[in-house]
Amino acid sequence: MNDVSSSTPVDPETTPEALVERFGRDLINDFDLDDPNFNERFDETLNFMVRKCPVVHSKVGRGYYLINTQDDVRAAAQNWQTFSSAKGYMPNRPDGLPYLMPEESDPPMHTRWRRVLNPHLSPKVCAGLDHPVRNDVNALIDTFIDRGECEFITEFGALLPGWAFFKNVLGVPVDDLAMLVNGVEEGTFAADLDERARHFAEVFGYLEKHLKWRTTQPPRGDLIDTILAGVTYDDGTEAPWEHKVSILVDLTFGGIATTTFVMGSAIHHLATHPEQRQLLIDDPSLIENAVEEYARFFPPVVALGRTATKDVEVSGTKIAEGEFVMLAYACASRDPRHMEEPEKIDVRRQGIPHSTFGVGPHRCIGSNLARVELRATLEEWLKRIPDFRLKEGTKPTYITGYLRSMRTLQLEW
Amino acid sequence: MKVHIDEIKCTGHGRCAKYAPNVFTLNDEDGYNADRGKTIDVPADEEANARLGVKSCPERAITIID
Ligand code: HEM
Ligand code: SF4
Repeated sequence: MNDVSSSTPVDPETTPEALVERFGRDLINDFDLDDPNFNERFDETLNFMVRKCPVVHSKVGRGYYLINTQDDVRAAAQNWQTFSSAKGYMPNRPDGLPYLMPEESDPPMHTRWRRVLNPHLSPKVCAGLDHPVRNDVNALIDTFIDRGECEFITEFGALLPGWAFFKNVLGVPVDDLAMLVNGVEEGTFAADLDERARHFAEVFGYLEKHLKWRTTQPPRGDLIDTILAGVTYDDGTEAPWEHKVSILVDLTFGGIATTTFVMGSAIHHLATHPEQRQLLIDDPSLIENAVEEYARFFPPVVALGRTATKDVEVSGTKIAEGEFVMLAYACASRDPRHMEEPEKIDVRRQGIPHSTFGVGPHRCIGSNLARVELRATLEEWLKRIPDFRLKEGTKPTYITGYLRSMRTLQLEW
Repeated sequence: MKVHIDEIKCTGHGRCAKYAPNVFTLNDEDGYNADRGKTIDVPADEEANARLGVKSCPERAITIID
């Protein structure tokens, strides 16, 4: 059942021996998102898998599959009846962690929530946030520009998305942002699964307290009031309190770390490619498209999971009912069947068919906000710090699992 | 050229309207394609833009009817 290789044609590059030699393990039958080799050789592994391994299997914990081609990822993401989100998106989910709405639910329950939440993060609303976000970009740059150097992640990248979302959308004070950022990061990447659960619990507790406090305040007509007003499910029951808390948690998880990674990666790319920097400075109208290309190429969401509700076959691999299946959005965004030279960054690429923001009903609700943040960051940064580079003798550090995160990025100018 | 926007597949990525704002419009309220479930005409001078919009839709929600 788990032997995926038996169903794919023989290719000298994909024999277990060749894979162990090249990637340190048999990627096809024994994949591991948390393997340090995957973190180190992220691009190479994605490029290889999307071409050569449409489906791979992991034996870690309860095990999971990874679906890698764009057509398969799209088909599975759109087919929520067969690939359900109701049992969660994390592989080997810590026991006892409450499910997160709307991400860990299926239609029609999911649809009820998305219908009321979408208007708060629509393209129109987010376009209106461009101005306050730009002010925040500049306020952050002010804190280090005269120093001639910065550690981009802690001094900018980890702060802006939290400011943008908490200040402008939720109206939550930003004082406790560092705790939340750390909670989300450790809850995702801590080596020990119990420790992940403890960090998640801390974030839950904090946000629940805030939501409770808002029930004592006059309504503001904002996103929080929409969450508090709740929805009625199809069976006539009202969404319970825990679902409301989890909406806020899901938005926070989604809203902070992901955008940081795209930002950090784009700035790193520009720091190390002066000619690309010049291209965007000479023609800032390219920046909007550059954001799309950077989002395609630097995916913070490597893969998110579903549970098979029946036996299915994906590109020749049989997957049994109840198995955990991850949609590798990161691979799907580099599928050579759908774009030319996907392993190259080309900000002039036209019509970029990527899946960085997910596919199907769970399409990232924050995608419009993330785009505003990324564009404002690149435009303002290049205006104020047009010439910058990686600090001598340093290179960025990363951590990867089902998400990918940049830990440090030292810059100087 | 005509295009059809699938009512269910469109989930509001908004890419179509970026490349072809004169063909595709987004609903102000939720950001989904305003013509979901409909077939619309594409003016001859907008065909190239419309094709880019179709290509960039992550859902493949738009089909071209020649
Ligand atoms: C570059 C930045 C971002 C990336 C790459 C990203 C990526 C994703 C992806 C791939 C999904 C799909 C989940 C699935 O298929 O199960 C998703 C869902 C989600 N994202 Fe984002 N996201 C980003 C920014 C944001 C922001 C800024 C917010 C909040 C303001 C946010 C909130 C959410 C929520 C709540 C969901 C769940 C939607 C649902 O299940 O209906 N994300 N995101
Ligand atoms: S790009 Fe596709 S999914 Fe997005 S709004 Fe347009 S039609 Fe809908």
